[in-house]
Formats: sequence, C-alpha cells, structure tokens
Amino acid sequence: MSEQRANVLVVEDEKQIRRFLKTALEGEGCRVFEAENCTQGLIEAGTRKPDLVILDLGLPDRDGIEFIRDLRNWTRVPILILSARSDECDKVAALDTGADDYLTKPFGMAELLARLRVLLRRNAPGEIEPEISFGTVRVDFSRRLVWRDGLNVRLTPLEYRLLAVLLANRGKVVTQRQLLREVWGPSFVESGHYLRIYIGRLRQKLEQDATRPRYLLTETGIGYRIEIPKGDV
Amino acid sequence: MRPSSTLLRYAISFAVCFLTAVLALPLRGWLDTANVAMLFLLAVLLVARYLGSGPAVLSAFVCVGLFDYFFVLPYLSLTVEDAQYFVTFAVMLVTALTTGALTANLRREIDTACAREQRSRALYGMARDLAGAVAVEQVVEITRRFLGEAIAADATLLLPDASEKLHPFPADGSLRAETHLAYMAIKNEKPVECTQISGSGYALSYFPLRAPTRTRGVLAIAPFQGDLEVIREQRDLIETAASLVAIGLERLHYVEAAQRAELSASAERLRSSLLSALSHDLRTPLTALRGTAETLALTLGDSPHELAEALRDQAAHLSHMVGNLLDMARFQAGKVVLRKEWQALDEVIGSSLKLLESALSGRKIDISLPPTLTLIEFDAILIERVFCNLIENSTKYTPPETTIEISAVLIQGMVEIQVRDHGQGFAAGRENEVFTLFGRGATESSVPGFGLGLAICRAIVEAHDGWITAGNHPQGGAVITFALPMGTPPEVTEETDENMVAAT
Repeated sequence: MSEQRANVLVVEDEKQIRRFLKTALEGEGCRVFEAENCTQGLIEAGTRKPDLVILDLGLPDRDGIEFIRDLRNWTRVPILILSARSDECDKVAALDTGADDYLTKPFGMAELLARLRVLLRRNAPGEIEPEISFGTVRVDFSRRLVWRDGLNVRLTPLEYRLLAVLLANRGKVVTQRQLLREVWGPSFVESGHYLRIYIGRLRQKLEQDATRPRYLLTETGIGYRIEIPKGDV
Repeated sequence: MRPSSTLLRYAISFAVCFLTAVLALPLRGWLDTANVAMLFLLAVLLVARYLGSGPAVLSAFVCVGLFDYFFVLPYLSLTVEDAQYFVTFAVMLVTALTTGALTANLRREIDTACAREQRSRALYGMARDLAGAVAVEQVVEITRRFLGEAIAADATLLLPDASEKLHPFPADGSLRAETHLAYMAIKNEKPVECTQISGSGYALSYFPLRAPTRTRGVLAIAPFQGDLEVIREQRDLIETAASLVAIGLERLHYVEAAQRAELSASAERLRSSLLSALSHDLRTPLTALRGTAETLALTLGDSPHELAEALRDQAAHLSHMVGNLLDMARFQAGKVVLRKEWQALDEVIGSSLKLLESALSGRKIDISLPPTLTLIEFDAILIERVFCNLIENSTKYTPPETTIEISAVLIQGMVEIQVRDHGQGFAAGRENEVFTLFGRGATESSVPGFGLGLAICRAIVEAHDGWITAGNHPQGGAVITFALPMGTPPEVTEETDENMVAAT
C-alpha cells in the first residue's frame, strides 16, 4: 500500500474506534476520512472516492444494509463491515447485499490489516492469474488441472467449481448462499448440506489434515474463506 | 289492577256480583229479564278478565243465584214459576263458565308472556353488563345482582385457580358453599342440589359454569327465603344465566391471557434492547482499548512495547469474559433462537480449534471420529461455542505438554462427544457443580474466569435436546461428555463419476 496511498473511508459512530482505526490505517500508509453516520458516510463516499469503505453495521441513523445498497447503486468500492459477534444474521445479510468482508468486534489489528490488504489488492485491476498455488497445491485455471505434492488430483466438476469460486475470492469470505448459488444454482441456496459434504471432500483431497484445515477455512454461521498466508505460495 | 291475595280476589268477585244486582234492581220493571241476564254475564266476563278463573267460576254461580232470587218471578225467592227459566239459568251458567275460562286462559298467557319478556330483558341486561366486565369481581357482582332481582336468591361463584382448586367469590359473601358439591357439579357437568342443608346459610344448588372450551367454575345459589322449589321452578333461567356467566368468565380469561402475552412481549423487547445496548456499550471501549494497545505495541520501542502487549492481552481477556457474560445473559433472557442446519461435526471441531489457535499454542489435540458419522442438525455457531469453551477449559487447567482428546461415538440415535484432558480432573463430588452459574471445579484457583463457560455449554446442549455430564477418567484427567440427537440427514444427489476434472 505504500507504493500508492489508498483512501479509506471509516463510517463509525464511536469516536474511540474511529481514532484507533485512523492511527492504525495511517500507520499502514492510508489516507483516512471519517464519517459518524450513514448520511455523512454517503456524502463522503461520493466526494472522496475512497478505495475502501469500513462500515460499522450498528449506526444510529440508518440501517447499514441500506447504506450498502445505496453505495452499490453506483460503485464497486470494497466494503468491510464491523459488527458484534452475536449478529451473524446481520453480517450474512450485509455480505449478501454487497459487502465484501467483515470483522467481528472486538477485532485484532492483525486481522484488520490482513482484510484491508486483501480488499485493496483485489481492487487492483487487470490481474487475472492463470495459476494459483497454496501449500503444496497448484491450480492451473487455463487447463482446469489441480496438483497436490506434484500429483494430479481428481476433482468432480462441482468440486472444481467450488474451489474456483473460493479461489477467485481468495482471502475474502464467501457466504453460504453465494457459494450455493454460484456452484449449484439458485434453487440450491437453502441446501447447506451440499456445501458441508463438498467442502469436506475438497479438504480430504487438498488439505494435509482435513479436520484442521490450513487454507479452506470455515467462517461458522457465515460461509467459507480460502486463506493463503503470506509467504506460503 | 291485579289483587294478589286469593281471598281478596274471591271477595271482590263476590262484591262485583252483588253490585251488578244492586245496579240492575231499579231497572227491574223496565228491562226484559233476558237483558238483566246479559248484565250478569258481563259481570262474570269482567271478573274473569281481571281476577282469574277461580273467581270467575264463583261469580258464575253467584250471578245465576242472584238473577233467580231478585229478577225471576216470584221475586226474593229461589223458586221459579216458569219452568223455561231453567233453560235461561243453564245457558247463563254455561256461557259464564265458558267465557270465564277463556278469558282467564287468555290472561294467564298474557301474564306468562310478560314474565318471559321480563326474564329475557333481565338476561339481556345481564349479558350486556357481563360483556362490559373487565374483572372477575365485576362478573360476580353482576351475577349476584341478577339472581337477587330475578329469582330472589343469593349466589356465590366458585372459581378454580391455576391448580384447579376452587375459591369462593366474593370471599366474604353471606352465602357459604359446600366445595365438594361444587366439584361434583363440575365432574358430572350438571347441576347438583342438596336438601339437607336448607336454611343453614349454605348454598343449596350448584350449577357448573360450562363455557365453550372448559368448565369455568360453579354457580352456587340459595333463595333468600324458602327452599329448593323456588330454584327448581327457575332452573331454565338459572342455567341460561350460568352459561352467560361462563362465557363472560372465558372472555375475561382470554383477555387476561392476551394482556399477559402483550406484557411479556414488551418486557422481552425491553430486555433484548437492554441487552444489545449493554453489549454495544461494553464492546465499544474494549474494541478501542484492544486496538489502541495493539497500535502501541506495533509502534513503540522494546520496554513500553511489553507493557503495551500486556495491555493488549488483558483487553483481549476482558473482552472474552464480557462475551461470555453477555452470552449467558442472552441465554437466561431466553433470547437465543436456534438456527439449526445440517452440519459436519469435524468441521465445527476444526473451526473451534482455529478460533483457539493462539490459546492452544501448538498443544497436541487428538481427534477420533467414527467414519460412519453423518451430518448432524445443530446450530453451528452455538456448538462451536461449546467446543471452544470445553477445549479452552482443558488448556487452562492442564499442563501445556499434555494432550487433549476429542472423540465421538454413536449410541442409540445420539452422537456422544467426549473432550478429555490429562490434568488433575474435577474435585471429587463436585463434578456437576461445574455446570451451575459461577461454579468452578476447584474452590480457589489462580486460573482466571468466572465459571460461566460450562453453564453456557449446558444451556446450549440442552437447547438442542441433548445432555452434558462431567466426570473424571479412570486413568486420570477430566472428561466432559455431551450428546446430540442424530436425526436423519437429507439426501444428496451424487454427481456421475464420468466427467471428472483432470481425469488421469
């Protein structure tokens, strides 16, 4: 991020949280704009053209979901939502409305910065890799081939598609509904059990220890995320 | 116009006959005897109309006698010169008796209709009052007033409480009730009467208050004066009144139930808004504290760096405990709604271990699950909490080099999951105290925590229709076992194997 200063808009009503987010983000070399409610946030988003919006879901003046919907009417800017732990439903609703990722309060700096990097990188244009590696696994998108420890891994079409969707969003959470819709089709959005079984099989085929996966992570109550740790490629 | 005493009515009818005779006497020379007979018939008709059938019969005979004595030759004698007058007497008597009977019948019917109308009016008035009643006391008052006015009887209502025990309303009423007779009336679903206790201040008749959904109590009555006859005569009326009272009570019952539901719903709303406000207010400073500490830790030099790290760890710990407290509060408030889905047990164990990654710091965990384990329906977030709390407890109370074992077995439609450690185990005899709020396995402990974790686990597992127990393993170490029902997982349509990606 240091190569080019990213503009981050923080929409959060609590002053203390805004203050520490500002300090942390500026430490990362970002330029930070603040808004303390949705109305102000939408104005700031229009005038500052941020590269990332951090949005607290519990704002006093309006529903955060509405804010996301309004913003999504005219911009694809990544949105990172902040929310309390007990509100999984709200998080899923926000993610399905168009938010890109979430953090659960109270969150650690390391998590915040990791999410930030993923979202800012993903926003960088013209970057479609033909091949992705993680651990000992290599995925060749052009030839639809998957290798592990140098050996070819047989995946069913659905397994491959599931892996491809997760990898296309790597580092970012993908909700259960989004996965079911993209891999199985719109009529399967309520059939979460398919996802459990196929994720289980993918882990058997790609992870060293399927019960304690390193890459194919479960975000309980929300969805899944493929995380590729730095320096793991 | 309606003399009440029977004797008086006969006396008046007698007088009417004589009055007619006195009035007709001066006209004796002018009027034809047939017309005088007509005057007497008129008198009988009037008597029948106003005094009833008995006096009419009497007056018929008296009139015939007077007619003979004063108006038929020879005067002032009951003897008759002309034998054809016997025909006149006979016709006169028959006509008088018949018209008298007819008129009296008509009158009786009018009287009955009037009484019926009055009764309907009274019942209607009572129904209207009952519809407006908002408390049981009002219903009692309305019932007593109605029965007092309509049949001159005293009444007491016997109403059941939550445990079906009957209580008299009004509690200090002048009329006492025999509770066992009331129970009998409820049980038989028909009125019960008792003659032995007449005049002793006890109710004589017990009418069950039958409403559409259930019997709502008993109406016990006794006439102010007299005996059961008064009640028997008015039985229809009393039964109608009893069913009106029953419907009134039932309506009150449902109004109360609706009000209670409304009240508890608003209390619930208040509680949940308090909880989320509390949750927000507690988490905000913690988030700021933790974030600030971390920022400091990242930017400062070595010595202040350590301090900042300590600050961060304490903030993280505090926020964990606040999380537990809030969770327990939500459970106690009954606010937790299960979002059950078909889940893979190994996946939830995996995600719990991932969440605890830093707390576990490389500790060895053994997981052994049966290969036949299917998907299980549960709320993944909550069961993840159970695993987190159990594994975290094990790491807190056991030396870091020991293993934590997680295993599952399938027994009789349940999956039994064990989390076992190799520490000191629970203090003997205190195994089940650990699940109570603020209960901890050891009395004094240097390990931080409130003892909320296991109480939360129990609340979660029991919400899933499962059970949880604590104990010590024969070879040492604490064992927590919890079970969840297995259920039948939904079908999954398999792909055909042919179009495998990258088939080799």
